[in-house]
Amino acid sequence: MTVRAVNLRARPPAPLSGPFAIFALLLGVGAAAALWVPQFATPANLANVANQSAVLAVLAVGQTFVIACGMIDLSVGQLLGLVAVLACDLMAGRSAWVAPAVGVAFAVGLGVGLLNGVLNNRLRVHPLILTFGMLSVLQGVIFLYTDRSTGLTAPEILWLANGALAGIPVSVFVIAAAGIAGHWLLQRTRFGLHLRAVGSSEEGARRAGIDPGRIKLLAFVLSGVSAAIAGLIIAGRLGTGYPNAGNGFELDAIVAVVLGGTSLAGGRGSIPGTVAAVLVLGIASNVLNLAEISAFIQMVVKGLIVVAAVLVNRPREKVSG
Amino acid sequence: MRKLLPALLLCGLAAGFLEASASRAQEPDIAALLKQHEAILEAAKRPIDTKPFEKAPPYKVGLSAGYLSNSWILFASQYVKYEASLHPEIANLVITDANWNPAKQVADIEDLISKDVDVLLYWPVDEKSVLPALRKAVEKGIATVNVGYNFMDSPWVTGNAYVDQWAMSVDNAEHFARGLGGKGKVFAMLPIAGSSAAVTQLAALRHVLADTPGIELVSIEYGDWNRAKAKQLTENLLQRFPRIDGAFSPAGQMSMGILEAFDEAGRLDELTMSPGDEYNGWTKWVARHGKWGSVTSGLEVGRAAVRHGLDILMGKPVTNAVIVGTRYLTPAEAAKLYDPDRPDDWWPTTLPPDFLPQ
Amino acid sequence: MRALITRSPVGSAERLQGAAIWVVLALLFLLAAALSEAFLRPIYLFNLIRQAAPVGITAVGVTLVMILGGVDLSVGAVISLGAVLCAVLMNGQTSNLATAVLVTSLAGAAVGLVNGVVIALGRASPFIVTLGIAIAVYGLTLLYSGGTARGEVSPGFREFMNYRVGGVAPVLALAFLGLAAVMAWLQRATRFGRSLYLIGSNPRAARLCGLPVAAVTLGAYALSGLFAALGGIALLARAGVSSTYVGRGLEFDVLAAVVLGGTTFQGGRGGVGGSVAGVLVLVIAFNLVNILGLSFYAQLMVKGAIIIAASAAYEYVQRYH
Repeated sequence: MTVRAVNLRARPPAPLSGPFAIFALLLGVGAAAALWVPQFATPANLANVANQSAVLAVLAVGQTFVIACGMIDLSVGQLLGLVAVLACDLMAGRSAWVAPAVGVAFAVGLGVGLLNGVLNNRLRVHPLILTFGMLSVLQGVIFLYTDRSTGLTAPEILWLANGALAGIPVSVFVIAAAGIAGHWLLQRTRFGLHLRAVGSSEEGARRAGIDPGRIKLLAFVLSGVSAAIAGLIIAGRLGTGYPNAGNGFELDAIVAVVLGGTSLAGGRGSIPGTVAAVLVLGIASNVLNLAEISAFIQMVVKGLIVVAAVLVNRPREKVSG
Repeated sequence: MRKLLPALLLCGLAAGFLEASASRAQEPDIAALLKQHEAILEAAKRPIDTKPFEKAPPYKVGLSAGYLSNSWILFASQYVKYEASLHPEIANLVITDANWNPAKQVADIEDLISKDVDVLLYWPVDEKSVLPALRKAVEKGIATVNVGYNFMDSPWVTGNAYVDQWAMSVDNAEHFARGLGGKGKVFAMLPIAGSSAAVTQLAALRHVLADTPGIELVSIEYGDWNRAKAKQLTENLLQRFPRIDGAFSPAGQMSMGILEAFDEAGRLDELTMSPGDEYNGWTKWVARHGKWGSVTSGLEVGRAAVRHGLDILMGKPVTNAVIVGTRYLTPAEAAKLYDPDRPDDWWPTTLPPDFLPQ
Repeated sequence: MRALITRSPVGSAERLQGAAIWVVLALLFLLAAALSEAFLRPIYLFNLIRQAAPVGITAVGVTLVMILGGVDLSVGAVISLGAVLCAVLMNGQTSNLATAVLVTSLAGAAVGLVNGVVIALGRASPFIVTLGIAIAVYGLTLLYSGGTARGEVSPGFREFMNYRVGGVAPVLALAFLGLAAVMAWLQRATRFGRSLYLIGSNPRAARLCGLPVAAVTLGAYALSGLFAALGGIALLARAGVSSTYVGRGLEFDVLAAVVLGGTTFQGGRGGVGGSVAGVLVLVIAFNLVNILGLSFYAQLMVKGAIIIAASAAYEYVQRYH
C-alpha cells in the first residue's frame, strides 16, 4: 500500500466520484424498459419500482461507507431481519408502539454496529470473516427468538413502505433522503474525508492524525443503523417480521455499491452511484417480470448484468489478480 | 473504558433478550394446531362471494411461486401449466419465482397486478408476509387462490386449493408408530425450520406419539428437503446414539439420505422408517425391499387450483377450499409408482410429455 | 529476474505463521475429543474428511486464486453445475464415467477461464465479477436441468468412492488429501506456483519484472473452476443425484476455510495446506455442535463464534511468534 500524506485543509470536496457510466446505464435501462414493455412507464408501475427498491437503497448507502473505508459488512442482511422481527413483535399492529419500535430498531442497529466495530478493532480479524461470523450469530439469535413470522406492522410503517405523499410514493422520499444525506456525509464532512482517507491508506491516515479505529467503528455503526432503517421498511413491505427476510440482502447491497462505482479497495465512494445502481437492479427485475421472462432465464440475465455493468464501470485503480 | 462500555451494554441487552425469549417455545402448540385443523375444515365449507371477481373470458392467470427449488413444487407448477392449457378461455399464464425471498414475492405480485391478471394463484414464501401484496390484488378485483400446504383464512385470500397437511402427517405418523410396534427411539427429519410444513409435521408426530409412550423422540433435525444434508445430519445422529430404532421422514427425498447413512454405517437392520411419499428414489427403495410404503403428497393440487380459480371467475357456487386428499399406500402399491426410466428426483404424474419438466 | 522466481517465497517466518492454523486445529480437535469420544475413532475421523471433501477440494482451487490476491465466489454455482452435468452425462452407464468426469472438469475450467478473462483483461473486481458469474451459472444450470436433478450416477462410482481402504479410509477422503498434496507441491515447486505468490504480494513489481500476470491469472481462475467442478463430482459421490441447488452457499464455507487457513485477501501468502486445515476446523466445529445435540439456532451461533474465535486465535498465534 503506498503511503500518501493527507492534506486535510486544502482538499476540495470530491465531485461525483466514480465514473458516470452507472448514470448512463440507468438512463439506458430506463429508456429501454419504457420502449420494450408498455406497462413500465405507467405511474403505478414506477411507484412499484420505487417501493421495491427502498430497502436495498438504504442498506446499500450504509454499505457504501463501510466499503469506502476499505472494509466490508456481511452481517447487515441478518441484522435487517432481526430488526424487522423485533420491531413487528413490539408493534403488534398498534400505532402507539411505533415510536418504541423505531427506538428499539435503532438501538439494535447501533448496538450490533458497535459490536462489529469493537471486535474489528480488537481482534484484528479480517472484516469479511468477522462479519461472516456475525451473520451466523445473528441468524442464530433470530431463530432463538422465533422460528416463524411474528408480530404485525403498524399502519405508520406500512405507509412508510407503501404509501404516498402528494401523489409521490414515500419510498421516493426515503431513497432521496438516504442518497442526499449519505452523499453529504461522505463528501462534504470531515468525517467523510477521514473515512475515505482511512480506506485509502490506514497508515497514511494515522500519520495525518486520524484515528483509524474510531473511523472504522463509526463506519460499522452507520452500516448498522442503515440496516435498522432497512429493517423497518421491509417490515412495512411484508406486514410482519419474517425471520429469513434479510437472507442474501448483504450480497445485493455489496453488488449495488460496486456497480455504482465504489471500489472494494476503499478510499472513495459514490453514494449517488450506489442509488443509481439500486434503481438499475430494481428496474431490471421489474422489467423481466413484466416481459414474462422465465425465472431461470431471469437469473442468467441478472448475473450477466452484474458482470457487464462492472466491466463498464471499472474502478480506475488496478485490482491485483 | 470507552470500548468496554458498549460491550457491557450489549451483554446486558443480550442477557435480557435471552431471558425474555426463554419462554418462546420452539415446540409447536399441538392443541392449537388441532383446533386449527378443525377450523380449516370448517372454513373450507364456507361459500365464496364471487361477485367482486366475476369476469367474462378470456382470462389471464398469474402464478406467483414462492419458490421452485425442489422437484415436487416444480411438478406442481407444471400441473398448473398443463391444466391451464386444457381451458381455451385462459388466454395467458404468467409465472414468477421469488426464490425464497418474501420481498421479491411482494414485488412479483405487484408486477402481476400491473399485468392485469384476472386471478392470482400463489404459494407463499411465508403466509403472513404475503398478505399485504394479496390485499393489493383483492382490492383491485383480482381473485387470489392459495395453492399447496399452507391453508390461509383471510379476507385477502379468496380461495384455497389445499393439501391436507395435518391429516397427511397424522396418517404418516400413525403408520410409523404401528411399524415400530409402539416402542423405540426415533428422530424426526423435517423440512425447512420455521416453515408451516415443518411445524405441522412435528405437531402431528407429537400428537400421535402422545398415545404411544413407548416411543421416544430423541432428536429433531431440519434437512431442508435436501438429501445430502439429511445424510450428514443422520451420520451425526448415528454417532450420538448407539441405537436408533426409527426415523420419521415424510419427505422421500430426505429419506434417501437417511437410508444411505444407515446403510454406510452398517446399521440398516435396526431402522424402521416412516412411510415416505411418491418420490421416485423412495419408491425405488420400497419396490426393492417391500417395506414401509408411502403417503401420497397431493401433487395434483396445481390442477385443482386452476379449476378453482376459473370457477370463481365464472361465478360458480364454490366454497372457500378445494381439499386435495392424501392416502396411505401399502408397500406393494407404492412400488408400482416407481418408474425405472426416470431419475430419483422425479414424481409419478399424468402429465403429457410436453409438460414434463424441460 | 530468475533469481526472484527460483528462490522459494515461503521464508521461515511465514512457515511458522502457516503452522498457526494447525495449532488451532489441534486445539479444537482436543476439545472435541474431550467432549465426545466419537472423535477418537478413526472411522469417524475419516468420515469427517470425506464429508469435508467437496468443500475441501474446492478450497484447494480457491486458495490459488486468493494467493494471487483475488477471490472466487462462483465456486458454489460451479459445484452445482458439476454435480448436475456429471450425473446427466453418466446417465447410469459405466462406459460414460470417464467422459463424464472429463467433460465436467473442462466445464468447470471453462467457467474459471471466463472469470479469469474478465478479471485479468477487464481489470474488474474479482468479488463482483465472480458473484455475477455465479448467478448466471446458477441460472444456466437450472435451464439445463429444467429444475429437477436429472441424470443417474454410473453404477459402481459411488461404491468406489465410498469404499474404505484398509477398512478405514474412504477413497473419496484419500482423493481429497491426494489432490491437496498435489496442489501443495505445485504451489511450491513450480514456476506457476511461485509466480502466484510474487504477483500476489506485489503486483506492480511482478508486472515490471515481466511476469506473465494475465496468463497466471487465467491459470489460477481456471484451476479454481476445475477444482470446483471436482468438488461437485465429490458431492455427487457423497450424496448421489440430489438437487440442482447442492452447491448453494458453499462458497462462503470455502472462503471461510481458506481465510482461516492463513491465505488472506491481500494475497502473497498462505497455501493449500492451511486451507485443508481450515476446512477440517469447520467440519469439526459443525459436527461437534451437532453431536452435542445443540438445537438449530444454537448451532448457527456457535458456528459463527467458532469462525471468529479461530480466526482471532490464529491472528494471535501469528503475532506472538
